[in-house]
Amino acid sequence: MGVQRDIVRFNVGGRIFETTATTLANAGRNSYFGAMFDENWDLIVEDQSKEHFIDRNPDCFSILLDLLRTGEIYLTSNVPEKLLYREALFYGLLDHVRTAKWGSFDGNRLRLSRSVNGRAPGDGTAIRAGPDGGCCVAHGSMVHVYDWMLEEHSPINLDYQRVNDAGWINPDRLVVSACERLGRGDGGMGLFSTSAGELRYKFHVSHENQVKSYTAGALSFSSDYKIYSSCKGRSNEYGIGVWDQNTGQQVDFFYEPPGWSLGDADKLQWLNGTSCLLVSTLFPRKDNCYISLLDFRAKKMVWAWSDIGTPIIDERISDERRVRDAIAMEDTSSICVVNEFEDLGFMDLRSRVGSVRWSSRSRLMKGKMPDEPCYPKLALHEGQLFSSMNDSISVFCGADWVLTSRLRRSYGGSICDFSIGGDRLFALHSEENVFDIWEAPPPPIMSS
Amino acid sequence: MSNNNNQKKRVFQIEAFKHKVVVDPKYADKTWKILEHAINEIYNHNASGLSFEELYRNAYNMVLHKFGEKLYSGLVSTMTYHLNETSRCIEAAQGALFLEELNRKWTDHNKALEMIRDILMYMDRTYIPSNRKTPVHELGLNLWRDIVVHSPQIETRLSNTLLELILRERTAEVINRGLMRSIIKMLMDLGPSVYQEQFEKPFLELSAEFYRCESQKFIESCDCGHYLKKAEKRLNEEIERVSNYLDTKSEIRITNVVEKEMIANHMLRLVNMENSGLVSMLLDDKYEDLGRMYSLFRRVPNGLSTVRDVMTSHLRETGKQLVTDPEKVKDPVEFVQCLLNEKDKYDKIINVAFSNDKTFQNALNSSFEFFINLNSRSPEFISLFVDDKLRKGLKGVSEEDVEIALDKVMMLFRYLQEKDVFEKYYKQHLAKRLLSGKTISDDAERSLIVKLKTECGYQFTSKLEGMFTDMKTSQDTMQGFYATHGAELGDSPTLAVQVLTTGSWPTQPIVTCNLPAEMSSLCEKFRSYYLGTHTGRRLTWQTNMGTADLKATFGKGQKHELNVSTCQMCVLMLFNNADRYSYKEIEQATEIPSADLKRCLQSLACVKGKNVLRKDPMSKDISEEDVFFVNDNFTSKLYKIKIGTVVAQKESEPEKQETRQRVEEDRKPQIEAAIVRIMKSRRVLDHNNIITEVTKQLQSRFLANPGEIKKRIESLIEREFLERDGTDRHLYRYLA
Repeated sequence: MGVQRDIVRFNVGGRIFETTATTLANAGRNSYFGAMFDENWDLIVEDQSKEHFIDRNPDCFSILLDLLRTGEIYLTSNVPEKLLYREALFYGLLDHVRTAKWGSFDGNRLRLSRSVNGRAPGDGTAIRAGPDGGCCVAHGSMVHVYDWMLEEHSPINLDYQRVNDAGWINPDRLVVSACERLGRGDGGMGLFSTSAGELRYKFHVSHENQVKSYTAGALSFSSDYKIYSSCKGRSNEYGIGVWDQNTGQQVDFFYEPPGWSLGDADKLQWLNGTSCLLVSTLFPRKDNCYISLLDFRAKKMVWAWSDIGTPIIDERISDERRVRDAIAMEDTSSICVVNEFEDLGFMDLRSRVGSVRWSSRSRLMKGKMPDEPCYPKLALHEGQLFSSMNDSISVFCGADWVLTSRLRRSYGGSICDFSIGGDRLFALHSEENVFDIWEAPPPPIMSS
Repeated sequence: MSNNNNQKKRVFQIEAFKHKVVVDPKYADKTWKILEHAINEIYNHNASGLSFEELYRNAYNMVLHKFGEKLYSGLVSTMTYHLNETSRCIEAAQGALFLEELNRKWTDHNKALEMIRDILMYMDRTYIPSNRKTPVHELGLNLWRDIVVHSPQIETRLSNTLLELILRERTAEVINRGLMRSIIKMLMDLGPSVYQEQFEKPFLELSAEFYRCESQKFIESCDCGHYLKKAEKRLNEEIERVSNYLDTKSEIRITNVVEKEMIANHMLRLVNMENSGLVSMLLDDKYEDLGRMYSLFRRVPNGLSTVRDVMTSHLRETGKQLVTDPEKVKDPVEFVQCLLNEKDKYDKIINVAFSNDKTFQNALNSSFEFFINLNSRSPEFISLFVDDKLRKGLKGVSEEDVEIALDKVMMLFRYLQEKDVFEKYYKQHLAKRLLSGKTISDDAERSLIVKLKTECGYQFTSKLEGMFTDMKTSQDTMQGFYATHGAELGDSPTLAVQVLTTGSWPTQPIVTCNLPAEMSSLCEKFRSYYLGTHTGRRLTWQTNMGTADLKATFGKGQKHELNVSTCQMCVLMLFNNADRYSYKEIEQATEIPSADLKRCLQSLACVKGKNVLRKDPMSKDISEEDVFFVNDNFTSKLYKIKIGTVVAQKESEPEKQETRQRVEEDRKPQIEAAIVRIMKSRRVLDHNNIITEVTKQLQSRFLANPGEIKKRIESLIEREFLERDGTDRHLYRYLA
């Protein structure tokens, strides 16, 4: 008895477990075990053979105890995931489970972990990954919210206003941008609680001290707690609105200059290095494509490119040159664009006159486009470039952007949107209301 | 609201189709009783009998079975009950025990709160965030704040007790700092607003009042130095207090109070205090007091500028007295030395006491610039000072010290507005030093030239450098001359010629004279040698600048070596041929202009102890009827005798005028060049702007007089470099 003094005995639902106080300390202070063994409770009894009774499921306890010992999680066939999550919630170990469940993100190691079916037919608007591994799917006037356990919460219902974009502020706070409904003064941007599905705050736009109704389009968040959204007001008040995340107040508005498009933008991307906002308005929302970089401190458009004036020689070539999505890559000071055949093109941000350098990577796509194509989308994550095309997502790496992996799952039709966050990739299909979750497996056992 | 509507509308009820899990209807009450009991036991220090597992499970079950609301509201009311009890206990505590009781209860509450949170952890994690309730720990703090701290019987008593303790500590009593720290920490834990309202605000108000009275008392009774010492002590005490038991954020606020009450409000009175204020500290070099004044005054707005202004006006006043003191003006070396001493004194003060503050250095510089230029002879005096140092003052002084001395002089030079005047004098003095071979250290001379060059640029020193080159070339030339002609010259007098480039040297009117035959043939030989080696040049003998060493034997066989000027040499050499000469004869033989000749004869015949000639009649002045003899009775203790012409060290009044005039003359082309340069780039400019720009361009050399600039503009208009604008007469236009 005297050899190992920190042995602890549990009787969980009738089964005896023995472990050490050191193992239990891994649970942290904010857990059942942390509280139980706090000195306030005076529970360290002299008689070590005395067991602590816990009226819970022993099978789950065994898995969770193993998690505390090793940091890894292995489900047994008799324990459904949901049961384990419930027990982990009881002990306050849910965060431990989440961290152990999947490895850190790497586009080249992704495995399909699950597909989740929604209730609606296809044609989702957008999917957005949350910071902790959850996600939300915007669909018409609804936003369906899933936590990292892929449990669906009460949906956010905007009552006939079409949702344009959504973005996570934290695992419990979601910003949703929506169309204005004529004559109703609704629309714009709202902050929702994802656990309750309730509106918590509505962001206003005012022009000359008058609050106006507006349509909010694409969203982006900056590292200094600002929210950017493309806005369309009724009286030509087009531009980019800026709000403070903490106060909810509108702090800036960048009006659209004549002959340019900001208020209709499809995509906003905040660039941390240069503190600029990339604004892209693309076909088919507009006949032409406008890409610009805004510097809000200097109130200036510091870089701009458009395909206005490009002569249309023949329809086929112009499709080839038409930009379908754009993403800025700060490491190389360039913008990557993609056309509808998934050819990548690059523009140098350092040269004032932007021109696209297309890399005709493959022309295989031509001629075998599916009936209902989805235009390619781009994403960048830690130096890896992702592009969706039809029913697959390509991963490009290295300085020359070599295609290194392709994620594909045939069910559900083309991928209309995808998003990376919380060490997961979510891909939303357009024909069926289904989305896939891709995650990297935990590191191999022999890794150091 | 929606509930009411539903109940009104509801006319029939649909039975649940499925069997609900039947929960014991008293389940919630029973479970809550257990938990309530546990909370009571925890508050009563009786927790050892409680089962954590059971309580956690019960709280979990209540939340799971949708009794979260009951659990939460039960918690609020139980905790409220206990805190009301606690509050009454604290209120009942007497005197000094009050704070201790408060502290003890606070510790208890914290411990209880932690245990309660442990049991209700599941509610904290699930029910509270989704129902927008306050988490348990925060709830516990809020209730403590509202029930205990804001209790009418506690609130003001708490503030007053804390303030009273601080007041006692200020009057040097020892208080229980640990207790103070705990209580202040409690206020901070309850949120910044509680700390500020409950403690900090009254603390700052009371402190302001305290220091207002104290500073009034001190200023009536102490001199400036003592007052500052006390203020510094108080300030440090407050900083220490903050670090001991207050929120660090309070430091800036309380120090602001002390600074305002003790320093800012009495600033002028302190600085100007009779016999102990800033001026007397400066006079007595009280570095410690000055340093204290600096570090305290820098904390308050306008503090340093007040100190600086008083220092500046004092400096200007004393400097002005110094440069206008008629006694000082008599001795240029002393004059400059006084300036240097003053500068050293203030440099040390700024260095030691004012932590080398740039703004103070600037104030010092501007003051010096102000008063040095009050005396128009400063440039001359500085040059004379250098002359003195380079003639004799640097003997036996190490190289570094020479550098330091020269650097100091350069510093004064920098303050001069009329640098070109300095240049003029410097050139004259340097020429004299070089030609008379009086300069002590070539290195020191050159080092100063380098300094002037870095200060004023190449143009300023190119001529001075030319003088050095001439000296060196002359040496080589003489060596060459004697190497080729040495043999044939035999025992004729030794000749040393310095060939001076025209323009590099200050010009003086040439005094012509007939050289004695042996000299003139020698000079002729040299001339042909020199022109033989350098074609296309012209040599002019500057007889006024030469010297000669003569060996003389007097009537009784006394032998002496006489060091004389060229003119004197010409006169004396005559006496090799005859014993007596009349004035007229000398004048004829030498052809020296009469004014110079008179001066020359005066120095040979009338200076006591150096009168190698005798004259008849014996009078002080030379007249044209005089007759001169060799003074056979001449005696002197010295073998070598220097017979000087009467040359004043300082410039005489007419000479001064002349130098001035020459300087003014030299400035004209410089001003014109500046005007043309500016107009060439600007094309059109109005009068005032031209004046400003010209002054700016020239200020590194001298301060241009606006009147003179105007004259130069007129002259340029006459010569059609510029014209006046047809419509606006204030505008000038450049004519290409």
